[in-house]
Amino acid sequence: MTSVDGVHADDRGVWFHASADDVVDVRFDGRRVWSFWLLRDSEQHGAERLAAWPAPLRRFLDGRTRLSVVAHVSGVTLYDAEVALGTAEDRIAVVNDEGRPLGLDKSNRLSQTFDTRSPEQVAPLLDAISGVLAALDEAGTQAFLAYGTLLGAVRGGALIGHDSDADLGYLSPHTHPVDVIRESFALQRRVAELGFDTYRYSGFAFRVDVAEADGSKRGLDVFGGFIADPVGDKPAMLYLMGEIGAPFRREWVYPLTTATLEGRTFPVPADPERLLVATYGPGWRVPDPAYHFETARPTVRRLNGWFRGIRVLRSEWERKHSRTRRTLPQRTGTPLTALVVEREGVPSQVVDLGAGRGRDALWFARNGAHVTALDFVPSASTAAQEAARDEDLDLTVRELNLLSLRSWLAEGTRLAHTPGPRTVVARHLVDALTAPARDNAWRLCDMALRDGGRLYLEFRTGAPAPRAEGDLLAPVAVETVTAELAAHGAVIVHREDTHETRASGGEPGRPVSRLVAEWRR
Amino acid sequence: MKENLRQRVTRRVVNAAGGGIVDDLLTRIEQLEDEVQENRNLNLKLAELIDVVQELLVPVASQDRERIEAAVAKFERSL
Repeated sequence: MTSVDGVHADDRGVWFHASADDVVDVRFDGRRVWSFWLLRDSEQHGAERLAAWPAPLRRFLDGRTRLSVVAHVSGVTLYDAEVALGTAEDRIAVVNDEGRPLGLDKSNRLSQTFDTRSPEQVAPLLDAISGVLAALDEAGTQAFLAYGTLLGAVRGGALIGHDSDADLGYLSPHTHPVDVIRESFALQRRVAELGFDTYRYSGFAFRVDVAEADGSKRGLDVFGGFIADPVGDKPAMLYLMGEIGAPFRREWVYPLTTATLEGRTFPVPADPERLLVATYGPGWRVPDPAYHFETARPTVRRLNGWFRGIRVLRSEWERKHSRTRRTLPQRTGTPLTALVVEREGVPSQVVDLGAGRGRDALWFARNGAHVTALDFVPSASTAAQEAARDEDLDLTVRELNLLSLRSWLAEGTRLAHTPGPRTVVARHLVDALTAPARDNAWRLCDMALRDGGRLYLEFRTGAPAPRAEGDLLAPVAVETVTAELAAHGAVIVHREDTHETRASGGEPGRPVSRLVAEWRR
Repeated sequence: MKENLRQRVTRRVVNAAGGGIVDDLLTRIEQLEDEVQENRNLNLKLAELIDVVQELLVPVASQDRERIEAAVAKFERSL
């Protein structure tokens, strides 16, 4: 029984007295938008506890709503009142740009949780689960429902209302990380060949994107698992991306059995309850919409060390660019494009490395160059790509991940096999990358400039400073960059240390350096 | 790793009595952990290298530009 009283809400969050922890739902006009643990997710403020509004929800909190706080498991209503937040008089609507209802999932991310979707809207996801399972099966891998999707099927035969994605897992026959990663690469290729868009998270997990009837895209995560060879007399361990490390036996998974999910039959592990215990602990039967994984440190370190590290800062760049990708970059060139033209004229072939929104790439294309724009987040240049299409410009945009050997080596191969000298420009690439990624950038440039040409860099210099959410660039000392380039066989032919030019004029901006390098063969 | 007050005091006392042995051991554990992770990181690199060789080496060895372009394009589609 929940011991909570004195519940009320204001612009800061939900206030209450509580003596024991319990998970509660916050509903606006009857619809769940957030769940939290009374003690775990709140702080003491004087005599009361405050569960502050999660950041993603705050921008919606201007208006009126019937706010209720309901104990999730018992269904007991702890608070129910008309509340005014902010200054507006309208009803608060937690919806996306298309007006579709949003709620916070267990990680406090705003998403279209299943409790907001009709059976007709869920059907395409179930179709997708079947389709991806069939594709994996065709590729020789028997996958099964995992994580929240398995939990929902076993606990109640339905998708969990506060969940927002579907998860699949499989157990590799291999027992070594190298082999299971290779198998995951091959699986993703097979799924892509079947016509699905895919997105790799790590060496052992990828997502399959599925278009639903209403046009929204939903990701289906495919998590790899394997049983590592036992060490000494220790039990064999199951490692399943991205949270599980537990003593396990293969026969608890294969041969698969089935369970019902939303009226359809799907494969699940032979003993699904054992996997659920390994996933959520012995309390898995009790619903928890604010569940936080407390993955053991050795498991986190193993999964990180073996499989992760190919998408450092990627989510941050995707988030940053998602706000601007439909806005055309400034039409004018930049000091770096001016430096290129001053030294080379407009080059015939340009590679824009770390093209971002594509300002330099588009400028070169508009001035007659054949341009290849490469970026971690190719959608960042959506507007520039559309402009290039409309203006019939020679601008090709491709994805490049400098943290993935497969990605930069494939791109390097492609560029090395396209004859002729070229100019590689990279404005704010050096300061966007981590040191290992820079190392690969220089290898790629070495390959791209096999037939001659030069590398033009502009980056922020100065004392090291941490990256921030709004500004993902971190200054790098010029000497560091020149030493790295020299180690890769490049010669610096031009260097200028200057400041950013502010559009408004006045005081000079932050210090930047421009370097021109070439490989003499 | 986070220490509570009691752990911190105990560590300092034992460390002082042992001529700095606790601090030395903690430093070595940290270094060993880094070294273990450096080695673990090789798994992904090796798997990527094998995959790229397997998928691209044969078409590249053919010296046929169209075949190379097609192989790279197909390879890049599922990265």
